[in-house]
Amino acid sequence: MKIITCYKLVPEEQDISINGDGSVETSKAAPKINPFDLNAVEAGVQIKSMVEGSQLTALSVGGKALDNPKARKDILSRGPDDLTLVIDEQFEAMLPHQTARVLASAARKCEFDLILCGDGSGDLFAQQVGMQLGELLNVSTINAVSKIVSVTENTLTVERALDDEVEVLEIMLPAVVSVSADINEPQIPSMKTILAAAKKPVSTLDTEALELAALPKLVDAISVVAPKQAERAQVIVEGDDEAQIAAFADHLRKALN
Amino acid sequence: MSKLSNVWVFSDIAARLPETIAGGRALGEKVSAFIIGSEADIATAYSYGASHVYYLGNKADTQMIEDFATTMSQAIKDGEKPALMLLPATKRCKALAAKLSVQLEAGLINDATEVTLDDGVVAKHMVYGGLAIGTERIASTVALVTLASGAFEPQAADTSLTGEGVSLPFVAPKQAITCIERRVKQGNSVDLGKAKRVIAVGSGIGSLDNLALAGELAATFQAELGCSRPIAETEKWMERERYVGVSGVMLKPDVYLALGISGQIQHMVGALGSQTILAVNKDKNAPIFQYVDYGLVGDINKVLPALIQAMKA
Repeated sequence: MKIITCYKLVPEEQDISINGDGSVETSKAAPKINPFDLNAVEAGVQIKSMVEGSQLTALSVGGKALDNPKARKDILSRGPDDLTLVIDEQFEAMLPHQTARVLASAARKCEFDLILCGDGSGDLFAQQVGMQLGELLNVSTINAVSKIVSVTENTLTVERALDDEVEVLEIMLPAVVSVSADINEPQIPSMKTILAAAKKPVSTLDTEALELAALPKLVDAISVVAPKQAERAQVIVEGDDEAQIAAFADHLRKALN
Repeated sequence: MSKLSNVWVFSDIAARLPETIAGGRALGEKVSAFIIGSEADIATAYSYGASHVYYLGNKADTQMIEDFATTMSQAIKDGEKPALMLLPATKRCKALAAKLSVQLEAGLINDATEVTLDDGVVAKHMVYGGLAIGTERIASTVALVTLASGAFEPQAADTSLTGEGVSLPFVAPKQAITCIERRVKQGNSVDLGKAKRVIAVGSGIGSLDNLALAGELAATFQAELGCSRPIAETEKWMERERYVGVSGVMLKPDVYLALGISGQIQHMVGALGSQTILAVNKDKNAPIFQYVDYGLVGDINKVLPALIQAMKA
């Protein structure tokens, strides 16, 4: 079985800060693999182990951050057998529906039985690329997959945890499946897998080879700003003697009423 | 900008239909609801203010809501333009909306907290795990938006209302998925997002003994316990469902009390929706104090037992 697992590089959320004007500062936040996509990679590793002779390929499309050797090694140390990249300046900061279209063109160039995506990305969290990819490729597609139940050469059985119920679904392959963050606990790469990653093949697809139709712009991003904070009372008691704690407890009691 | 002539609405969950129709009424002259279900469901849609119902029939148990995407997109294609479709931001509706967005070559915004008309459909939604709000305008003639709960206030049902009904024949999708079993979801043991009172502990709590004391304090005023990311992920003292902030829980309680939390923005975004914020921290320069209504600079080992006594009194 040929499995593709898609991933995106996003800024490390712990290193994002907010500027005085409310704008988001990502320049100090190094790119890392979107955490939701690590769940997809792990699901790919699991499915690969269930069907003998499977091949797991990691796929990403985007700008020059994908050139970074460390980022390449990182994804390959997590289980994929090889990596395919589409790198082009024009794919920098793409909108989700554009990402889906570029991924669809790339996927048509690689053979696949199953494509795995994360349910969303930690930066824009648009939560649509995987589903749109499946629809563009005209194959079965579903989101929120929370468990891989079984897999054969031509069907995948999964659980899907929804807001009100759990569905057990039988999906004919080929398919594109988006997984939720609770599907598994991604493994942390070991020294062995990190060393092995350096030897795994990386290939790049030329934009021209994708035979991509012009990308539509269905949405215009207007702004990204930190929300305005509510005015707070800002009463700070310094010190922890009895009277000060009692004063604080009074504030707490008042807030509770 | 004047209202759109028509807004389409659909909800996979009955409880979310009223607010979705309310959104449709706020933005459109007419509200056309897609209904999968019974005659009674059609009447319900009218009672909440749908002017038109496009009835898609009943759904077999093995069938997926998402399989109706083709039927819906056909109706939207045949309808007036520009068009907007509103859905609640459930997982099913996000899947359905994504399929529709490809079939209709339409822009989609998920988890919208606010939708307005300003030279097109403009929606706000959280980005960077809640650190910021993204504002986007949909440029396509059909716009698709899934709504975060609370984006629109549902109106009370008026059973005297009625409307115009149309039955739509089911257009089978090219690729169907079969649902072989449905079961009721085991309720989460904790849903902090709905808690009215929350005590959150951070690394400054210092010990498991103090964590137990924090639990005791929480019990004195029926608060739920939450935590910072390191407490859940590094110390593993509390379950993941309890960590507050980016990629964790977003709180909206009346009272939020932080114990030994430094107040990094990544945590605070999950707490800033609180009515009143209180904090205890030994470092008076900790960023947490920028966000509080009431703060106490003091030693947690001393403050916790005293606070329990005070709250029990």
